[in-house]
Amino acid sequence: MKFLGLVMKSARRSKRRTLLTVMSVAIAVFLFAALRAVLDGFNASAEASSSTRIVTLRSTSLMFQMPTSHAEAIKATPGVQDLTWANWFGGIYKDPKNFFGQFAIDPESYLRLYPEIVLDPEEQKAFLEDRTGCIVGDGLAKIYGFKVGDKITLQVGIPVYGQRDFDFTVRAIYRTSGAAVDNQSMFFHWKYADERSLLKGQVGWFIAQISNPAQATQVAQAIDQKFANSSYETKTDTEREFQSSFVSMFGNLSLLLGSISLAVVISTLFVAGNTMAMSVRERTTEIAVMRTLGFPSSTIFLLVAGEGLMMSLIGGILGVGLARAIVNPNFLNAGGFIPAIGVNNMNVLVGLMLSVLIGLLAGLIPATVASRLKIVDALRQVA
Amino acid sequence: MALIELRDVSKSYKRDAIEIPVLDRVSITVDAGDFLGLMGPSGSGKSTLLNLLAGIDRPSRGAIRIGDTEISTLSERSLAGWRARHIGFIFQLYNLIPVLTAFENVELPLLLTNLSKKQRRDHVMTALGIVGLGDREKHYPRQLSGGQEQRVAIARAIVTDPTLLLADEPTGDLDAKSAGEVLTLLQRLNQEYKKTIIMVTHDPHAAERASHLLHLEKGTLVEQTAVGR
Repeated sequence: MKFLGLVMKSARRSKRRTLLTVMSVAIAVFLFAALRAVLDGFNASAEASSSTRIVTLRSTSLMFQMPTSHAEAIKATPGVQDLTWANWFGGIYKDPKNFFGQFAIDPESYLRLYPEIVLDPEEQKAFLEDRTGCIVGDGLAKIYGFKVGDKITLQVGIPVYGQRDFDFTVRAIYRTSGAAVDNQSMFFHWKYADERSLLKGQVGWFIAQISNPAQATQVAQAIDQKFANSSYETKTDTEREFQSSFVSMFGNLSLLLGSISLAVVISTLFVAGNTMAMSVRERTTEIAVMRTLGFPSSTIFLLVAGEGLMMSLIGGILGVGLARAIVNPNFLNAGGFIPAIGVNNMNVLVGLMLSVLIGLLAGLIPATVASRLKIVDALRQVA
Repeated sequence: MALIELRDVSKSYKRDAIEIPVLDRVSITVDAGDFLGLMGPSGSGKSTLLNLLAGIDRPSRGAIRIGDTEISTLSERSLAGWRARHIGFIFQLYNLIPVLTAFENVELPLLLTNLSKKQRRDHVMTALGIVGLGDREKHYPRQLSGGQEQRVAIARAIVTDPTLLLADEPTGDLDAKSAGEVLTLLQRLNQEYKKTIIMVTHDPHAAERASHLLHLEKGTLVEQTAVGR
C-alpha cells in the first residue's frame, strides 16, 4: 500500500497522456461490453424461446406473406394444439427515427400462446373489445410516455396498408415474464390492419402450439408438406430457430461483433503499451536513482507494471460503468429487436478482466526494461 | 579496523570488443568518520571508484570490503538491500523525483524499510531539519532553488542513517554561495554526526573541506594528502 501513492504520482506525471490512455481503455471496454450485451440480448431471446411453439413463414422470405386459409390446414396437423398469427406493420410514429416493433396480431389466440405478455385483466378485456385498441410494453411506454387511454397515430410504413394514418388507443401497458417477448413493442388487432390492407387476408407468420416438443421437427415437416408445390410454400421452425434466423438477417453477428471487439482491444493494447514505454523512457534517470537508493529490480518491475495496471483498470471501471449506464432498455431503444439488452454482471467482470489484461500486457515490456536497467549506464545518460 | 578496504581493484569497460581500462589495481583504506576527497582530471576514474563503493557497479578484479561485507561478491538483490541500509548517495544534478514533494523525495528510501508511517514522518522531518528545510516539506523540486534541491537530496541520503555518504561532485551545479552552504552541511554531517563521507570533486575549494584527499590519474592512485582543517 505504501507504494500506491508512488504509483499514482507517477501516473499523474503527464496528466494529459494518462487521461488519453485511460479514456482509450475506457472506450475499448465500453465497446466490448456493449457489443457483448447486443449478442447476449439476441441469445437471451433465443434461449428464452418456448420449446412448444413453432413458427411458420413463407419459404422464400419473412418479407412475403401467406393467406389466412393456411390457418385451418396448420391447425389440422397432428400434434398442433393451438394457433395464432401476426404481421409486421412497420408504421412510423411521428418520425422514422422513433423505431419500435409494431405487430398486428389475432389478440385472443396470441395472448393465449404468449403467456409471457402479462396484462391487467381489466385492461386486457378493454383491449380485446376495442378494434382500434393496442397494447404497449412498459419499456416502450417509458420511452415515449404512453399511458392507458392515450391516442397513438402511426403513419403507414409499408404501402400495402394504404396511405391513411392508423389511429390507436392505448388500452393496456404490458409487462413481460420472459425474454422471448420484448417490452418495447406494440401489439394491435390484426383485423384493424387487414380491413385497410390492399391485400386482404394475408399473414406474416403463424405460431403453432404443439403438444410434444420432442416431435417439433416432425410436426414442422408435416406442416410444410401440406403447402409444398403451392404458390405459398412454407418453412416451419422452432421458435428458437426462428429467432436465430431473424438475427442471421444481419449476417454473422457473433463473428462481426467479436472481430470489432478484438480489433479495438488490440489497438488499445498498443496505445497503452506505447504510453508505458514512453513513460519509462522519460524516467530512465529516476529509475536509476531509485535503484541507487536500494530499490530492488523486482520492486521497480512492480511499480511500472502497477502503473500500467492502475491506468487500465480505471479505464475498465469507467468503460463498464458507462456501458451499464447507457446500454440498457431504459436508455437505449433497440427497437424491440433485442428484448433483453443490458450489460450483465458477467460482462462487467469480463470487461474488467480485459482491462486488467490490457494493463498487464501493456506494462510487461516497459516494466521488464525498467527492472533490467543498468544503473551506471542510465545515470551516465544525463551526467 | 578500517571501514572501507579496496584491494587491487581494477575496472575496465568493453566498447565494441575493445577493453578500456578505467581503474588499475587501486588499493585504499578509509577509516570510519573520515571525510575523503577524490580528485583528478576527467576520465581519471574517480566517479567509477565512487560507483564501485556505492555498489552500483562491479569491479573487474579485486575486492571491496565495507564494514563487514565483501560487496563485490553479493548478488544483485543482496546488493540492492545492502545499498538501502548502508549507502547515502548525493548526485551532482540532485536527481530529485519531480512529481514528489521534498517530504516524499526524502521518504523514498524509507519505503523500503518496515517503519510505520509515523516513524517515517519523524525520520523525514529530522533529516529535513538537519539540512535546514523543515519548512519546505510540501514544496516540489521546481519550487526550490538549486542549493535547496541539493540539500533535499542530502536529506534523502542521510534519512536512513547510512554507514557511508557518497557525493559525486555535489557542488558542481551550484553557485558559489549555495556550494559553500552544501559543503558546510557536509562538513557538519562529518564532524557532528560522525558520518563517513567520500566526495568526488574538481573544485579545490570543495576539496579543502575534506580531511584527506586522494588524487587519481589515468585510473591509478597518484597521491594521498592529509588536509589540515
